[in-house]
Amino acid sequence: MHETWFVILALAAGTFAIRLSGVLLGQRIPKDGAWARALRALPGSLIVSLAAVSLLSGGPREWVAGLVAAIVAIVTRNLPVTMVSGIAAIALLRHLAP
Amino acid sequence: MPDDSPREAWTGARQISPLAIGVAVYGLAYGLLAEQAGFDALQVGIMGAAVFAGGAQIVAAQQLAAGTGAVAAAVAGLALNLRLLLVTASIRDVYAGQPWWRIVLGAHVTTDENWALMLARRAGNQTAGYWFLVGGGLCLLLVWCLATVAGVLFAQVIPEPKALGMDFAFTAAFIAIARSLWKGRGDLLPWLTAVLVVAASIGLAGLDPSWALILGGVAGAGMAGVIGDA
Repeated sequence: MHETWFVILALAAGTFAIRLSGVLLGQRIPKDGAWARALRALPGSLIVSLAAVSLLSGGPREWVAGLVAAIVAIVTRNLPVTMVSGIAAIALLRHLAP
Repeated sequence: MPDDSPREAWTGARQISPLAIGVAVYGLAYGLLAEQAGFDALQVGIMGAAVFAGGAQIVAAQQLAAGTGAVAAAVAGLALNLRLLLVTASIRDVYAGQPWWRIVLGAHVTTDENWALMLARRAGNQTAGYWFLVGGGLCLLLVWCLATVAGVLFAQVIPEPKALGMDFAFTAAFIAIARSLWKGRGDLLPWLTAVLVVAASIGLAGLDPSWALILGGVAGAGMAGVIGDA
């Protein structure tokens, strides 16, 4: 029982500290120059990394479904449609090639 | 000037709904896992509201269920959450000049999902500020807490997200959001750098995905800082 409470408290305190540190760090980075350019490019790089990590942790079926989602995203630029296409593609691929 | 904040928060809450469905499915699955790891419904509810980081909660519960101990479980969860430092740092304008209580609230409810949605909306030349982020975040917080507690209570009847293809929901969402963030060829080199660093970190160096993510994000951003505006 106390193990679970420890995990809850440690994660809650640590996660909040991480989020707040990011806010404080962001305020201290210069408003122009190389650091500012890097910070502006950070969201895109991080999103791409998030997608890359989850695709790489899968196999060929996930890669194909990722390709389907990418094509749908490029054509439609629509978030729900891309999500549904990706989910449908992976469900179908797993069904056809288990 | 009229106060538009409730309207903006409502817009954020509404637009997050496709992502909230994914969060709900994951919440149910997490509740099931947490129950197996020894958490009760009350603890799961408190944890959801106080931690509010799905991936980290799942990793910690998995570690605890695997018997690695409480310290290792917390460390693994926090390692995954280090990316949130980059997430909140990257939207500094949202928190700039806000009173402390709004910074505390805004920081706590910032997740991958409402952060990314806000960026995508801005990339489409629509305004999205503090209350858009917080509206989406509070909506996700509510859905996450309800779904995770429901997962504990109805553990027997919950399908695996993977069986429904729902494990792919966020991957597809990040792909869609990357598409809307694409501003042109100037993004190519930073993004390629991010992907290659992620691939090398996992494939060659055998690093944990938590660290691969951070290295990829920082490397891409660093590349953009070095090469200058295209």
